Amino acid sequence: MGLGKKRIKWLIIVLLSIVFIAITVCVIIVSQRVLPTDDLRLAREAVSEAKDAEANVYATKIYNESVQMYDSAMVNWSKENSRFIVFRDYSRVISFAKRSKKKAEEAEEESIKQSDSLSKNVEAAFVSLAKKIDLYNKLFKNLPLPKSVFDAHNKSRMFLSESKIAHEKGKLKEAEILFKKADIYINHANSAAGKMLRDYFNDFAKWKNLANDAISASRDGNKVILVDKVAHILYVYQSGKAIRSFDAEFGPNWMAHKERNGDRATPEGTYHVASEKTHGRTIYHKALLLDYPNAEDRRMFALKKKNGSLSRSAGIGNLIEIHGNGGKGFDWTIGCIGLQDRDIDDLCRLVGPGTRVTIVGSIEPLSVITNGVDF
Amino acid sequence: MKSKLIIAIAAMGIAVLFSSCAKVPQTEIDAATAAIQEVKDAGADLYVPEAYQALVDSMKSANEKVEVAKAKWFPNYTKAKEQLAVVSQMAVDTKAKSEARKVELKAETEAMIVEVKALVEENKALIAKAPRGKEGKEALEAIKSDVAVAETTVTEVEALLANGDLIGSNDKIKAAKEKATAIKAELEEAIAKKGKK
Repeated sequence: MGLGKKRIKWLIIVLLSIVFIAITVCVIIVSQRVLPTDDLRLAREAVSEAKDAEANVYATKIYNESVQMYDSAMVNWSKENSRFIVFRDYSRVISFAKRSKKKAEEAEEESIKQSDSLSKNVEAAFVSLAKKIDLYNKLFKNLPLPKSVFDAHNKSRMFLSESKIAHEKGKLKEAEILFKKADIYINHANSAAGKMLRDYFNDFAKWKNLANDAISASRDGNKVILVDKVAHILYVYQSGKAIRSFDAEFGPNWMAHKERNGDRATPEGTYHVASEKTHGRTIYHKALLLDYPNAEDRRMFALKKKNGSLSRSAGIGNLIEIHGNGGKGFDWTIGCIGLQDRDIDDLCRLVGPGTRVTIVGSIEPLSVITNGVDF
Repeated sequence: MKSKLIIAIAAMGIAVLFSSCAKVPQTEIDAATAAIQEVKDAGADLYVPEAYQALVDSMKSANEKVEVAKAKWFPNYTKAKEQLAVVSQMAVDTKAKSEARKVELKAETEAMIVEVKALVEENKALIAKAPRGKEGKEALEAIKSDVAVAETTVTEVEALLANGDLIGSNDKIKAAKEKATAIKAELEEAIAKKGKK
C-alpha cells in the first residue's frame, strides 16, 4: 500500500510537470504568434478610404475584391479563433487582410483616375452639347420646324440641366447618363433641322441668279429691293450697292415658296411694288402691295393643280405686302414681309410703285450661313 | 483521500485553464447588425452616406475587437461590448439623421413643385401677353413646348416623389425650376421689348 501511495504521488508530480511544461510551451507559442489585428485595421481603413473616393462606383470590380478579401480575412480569423489556441494559424487571415488593403489602395487610385477622367469627359461633353444647342439657337431656332424637333431640343436642354446638377453633386455616372440622353435629343433635333435647311438650300443656285439679276438691275441707278429670308433682312440696292437694310419678319412657314392661299409662306421670285398703302389705308401702319402672283407663280400653280400636288379647290393667294407692325422678334405674318413702323416709313420714302422686289431664300451659300460649322 | 483531493483540484485547474472565461457577446452583435440593417432599410446609405459609412466602419471595428478578444487565452469582451453599444447608439442617431434628411428633401421638393407649378402658370399667362400678330399662336409654339416640358417634368417629379425617390425627384425639380425661370425671363424680355415700341 505504501508503495502504491508513493507511486500515485510521483505520478501526480510527473503529470503536473507535464502539464506545466505543456502550458509553458503553449504560452511561448501563443505569445510568439502575430495577431492580424493591425493588418485588419489597416485593411478596413483602406477599404473605407476607397469607398470615400467612390471606388464602389468608379472602380467597382477592384473595390468589391478588396471588400471580399476583408470579409474573407474576418471569416478566417473567426474560424481560426474557434480552434484550440495552440493550433491557430493567422497567416491566411493576414494574407487576406494585406491583399484587401492592397486592392483597396488600387481601387482608390483607379477611382480617382476614372472619376477625374469621367469628370473631364462630362465637362467636355457639356461644352460639346452647349455648342450643339448654340448651333440650334443660331441656325435652327427661327426655322419653321415641326413640333417634334423643338420638343426634342427642349428635352435635350432639360436633360443637360439635370446632368449639370448631377455633375455639381459629384454624381458623375448619373451626369454621364443624363448627358447621353441630352445628346441623343439634341442630335435628333439638329439632324432634322439640318436636313430641312439643306433641303431648302437646294434652290440656292436659283436664288443666286435672282439676286444677281436684282443687283444688276440696280446698277443703272434704280432702287431695287432684295429680301433675304434666311438673314431676315430687306436690302435696298442702288447702283449695285446696298444703301439701306432693314430687319424683316415673315410668315411662320417662311422656309418655303408660297404656293397657295393660306400656306403662310412668303413667295420667292421677282415682283414689283403694285401700289403703296399710306397710313389709314392699312391696319399695318403703311404697306407696299406686291404684284404676287407673277407669271411664273401662276404657271407653277396651274402645273401643281394639274399634277395633283395642290387640291383643286386651292387658291393661289394674293395681297402679299411689305408692311409695318413688325419688330416682334418672330415670324408672324401670313406670308407678307413685316418691318418696324419707322423702317416702313423710311422704305416708303426710298421706293414706290414699280420698284423691283426680289425675294430669295438666301443671298449667301449655306456654308457662309453656318459659318463652316458641320451639322 | 488527500491524494483524491489533489487530483480533483488539478483537474479543475486544467478545466478552468482550457475553457473560456467569457462568452462572445452574440446578443449585442446581433442587435447591432439588425440596427444597421434597419438604418440601411431607412435609406441612410442614400440620404446620409457619410454617417452610414461611419456606422458600418464602426461595426467592422467592433467585430475586429470581438476577434481580438477571442484570440486571447482569457477572452475579455468588455471593449467589444462597449464598441457595440456605441454602434447601436450610432445606428439610432444615423436613422434619425436619415429620417430628418428625408423630411427636409421631401419638403424642399414639394416647395419647389409648388414654385415650378406657379412659374408654369405665370409663363402661360405671359405667353398670352407675349407679342403676337396674325399668326402669333403658331410662332409661340416653341416657347409653349418649353413650358410643356417643364410641366411634364413636374408630373414626373410627383410620380418619383410618390415612389419615394426623394433624391431623383429633388434633382429633377431643380432642373425644371431652372428651365421655368429661364422661360419666364425670356418671355418677360420679349414683352418688355414689345412695350418699348
